[in-house]
Amino acid sequence: MPNSIKKMLIVDDSRLSRLMIRTFILAKRPQWLIIEATSGDEALQIVERDLPDFISMDINMPGMLGTDAAEQILDKHPEIRIAIFSANIQETQQTRAIELGARFVSKPVTEKTVLQALDHFEGAV
Amino acid sequence: MISLSELHTDALCEIFNIGAGRAASSLSEIIGEEVQLSVPHVQIFPSSEIQAQKLPLDSARVGAVRQHFSGPFDAIAMLLFTEERALEIVRDMMGSHVSLAELAEFEQDAMCELGNIILNACLSAMADLLGLTLQSTLPQYTVDSPEFLLQNITGEIDQPVMMALHIDLTIEKRQTQGCLVFLLSTSSLKEFLSHIDAFITGI
Amino acid sequence: MNPATHVQNLVWNSIWNAINLGLILIDDQGVVVLWNDWVSEHSGITEKQAVGQTLESLFTDGLGASFKIAMQNALTYKLPVVLSSILHRSPLPLYPLPCTRKKQQARIHQSVSLTPIITPDGTHQCLIQITDTSVSFTREHMLKLHSKQLSIDATTDGLTGAYNRRYFNERFKAEFGRVNRQGTPLALLMLDIDYFKDYNDFYGHPAGDRVLIRIVELMKSQLNRTTDVVTRYGGEEFAILLPDCELEGARAVAQKIQHAMLKLNIPHAKSNAAGRVTLSIGIATHSVNSNCDAHLLLNTADTALYTAKHEGRNRIRYLLTQNEMSKDTAYLIDAGL
Repeated sequence: MPNSIKKMLIVDDSRLSRLMIRTFILAKRPQWLIIEATSGDEALQIVERDLPDFISMDINMPGMLGTDAAEQILDKHPEIRIAIFSANIQETQQTRAIELGARFVSKPVTEKTVLQALDHFEGAV
Repeated sequence: MISLSELHTDALCEIFNIGAGRAASSLSEIIGEEVQLSVPHVQIFPSSEIQAQKLPLDSARVGAVRQHFSGPFDAIAMLLFTEERALEIVRDMMGSHVSLAELAEFEQDAMCELGNIILNACLSAMADLLGLTLQSTLPQYTVDSPEFLLQNITGEIDQPVMMALHIDLTIEKRQTQGCLVFLLSTSSLKEFLSHIDAFITGI
Repeated sequence: MNPATHVQNLVWNSIWNAINLGLILIDDQGVVVLWNDWVSEHSGITEKQAVGQTLESLFTDGLGASFKIAMQNALTYKLPVVLSSILHRSPLPLYPLPCTRKKQQARIHQSVSLTPIITPDGTHQCLIQITDTSVSFTREHMLKLHSKQLSIDATTDGLTGAYNRRYFNERFKAEFGRVNRQGTPLALLMLDIDYFKDYNDFYGHPAGDRVLIRIVELMKSQLNRTTDVVTRYGGEEFAILLPDCELEGARAVAQKIQHAMLKLNIPHAKSNAAGRVTLSIGIATHSVNSNCDAHLLLNTADTALYTAKHEGRNRIRYLLTQNEMSKDTAYLIDAGL
């Protein structure tokens, strides 16, 4: 249902990355409501408050690792779809993301990589 | 005097993070172990502050892998480790099955490759994000005092500026600090920043 | 063609083939354009067979994965790539002379570089250079080897394998700097074996050495982050650096070590602290707000250790780094012993 209004949370400590993800997403899904967080801890709070449908999560941020935040979120809210967006493209990180039930997408943020995330968000269960 | 906006710094960090991620991935394929490589922050120094003391290398002698690159802007990129650390990295990369004889024999080669992987990863991330093509020379490895290395290079550049990045590299549980340095002329830095501006406004 | 140019080309051709180095030129699709005699001899594939083919189709029996990635990178990003022989050994199936191309023949060790080249008409090509590194070691190498051994020994303690004091000094400085740059806390533990001199006198130095080795192993086994550093600071004194760790974490580590020592239970008949080998531990911590320099942090940890010793050994003491710190701000953790 690409046209329905969905809530998406972007978690990334880089302002530029947040801006890029937001821009590419809004170009494809102009209806969506976008929320931003700059750390894993902040993401946990926002999830409780706003309960987004989708999350894009960076791994290396100050404080908690994005994968750890994703794990906690999915434990509590397994219905949320999470795309792990990271520059750390090593096998171990990709495996961890998949084990969590999230989709791994490698940075840089481009139209192509954002489409991979969208695909995961809206794809069949 | 050139100043960087917050978005400039953010864009530089993102470029180097992606570069570091790619380099770590290549290194881990070679070594067969997870490699951690992070580039915490970027600093820019004007000509008058290009001094060895500004670099996080507390050693009389450092190993430096250097590549000169050119394209829309020219720069000399250099990866620096203290001499002792350089040797340990080589040992960790080769694993314990390698004899010390081979280690000594191939230090030069292995350091060139390590530098080449890290520098190329950063240059390719730059090329991908900013949509440009860069040429580069083959890597050269030298061991010298950090003062001499910097002096020697800045002499080749008109109104030089230094961009320095701390590097944390962890292989086989051993953490090493190094430094990635870009030396470029003021006009090349302006050109570089204008590409970043174009990229930011293009989003 | 102008006769002078023709002669020049013949000369270049002779040089290309006379050179003691493998040279292959490929175009931007990875198709061979030039192939010198050195490569023909060591691969058993003639120039005529090679030109117009891709390397994958020529070397069906194995082009190393690392070589394929390197070639891809060189062609995509136009950046030069080196493959050192020590990390890759033999990326290309090239053999010593006489080359039989038989699978059982060992490949030569090679170091390879790929350099992108722009031709006058603007197309991209890539020059592959291969050097044979299967050389025997000369005396010079052996001399170099000895000095390298010294330089490795320079960072670790020969007996226990822990880092040595020299390495500690360097790391301590770096980690201290990181606190101020990145705002993460730092904890320092100083540890000393109680009545170790009496142990050596009674059980002998070889037994004492074994204790040192076992304690280093024990300390390492109680630390689980790759960034934690165990060093042999002096004879029976150790220092542990815990980056990004506050007092709570440092205390937990110290207690884990004490607990493991209790379980290790090495008998020590001459100890007044317990009938077994025990440790006294001093802790000091530093955060970005604590207004402390590296020297003061080290001294504080040392004083904390001294306090632990003074108050009966086999215990943990923590001290604040402030100069005005008084003795009653120190507190005792007895690790439930």
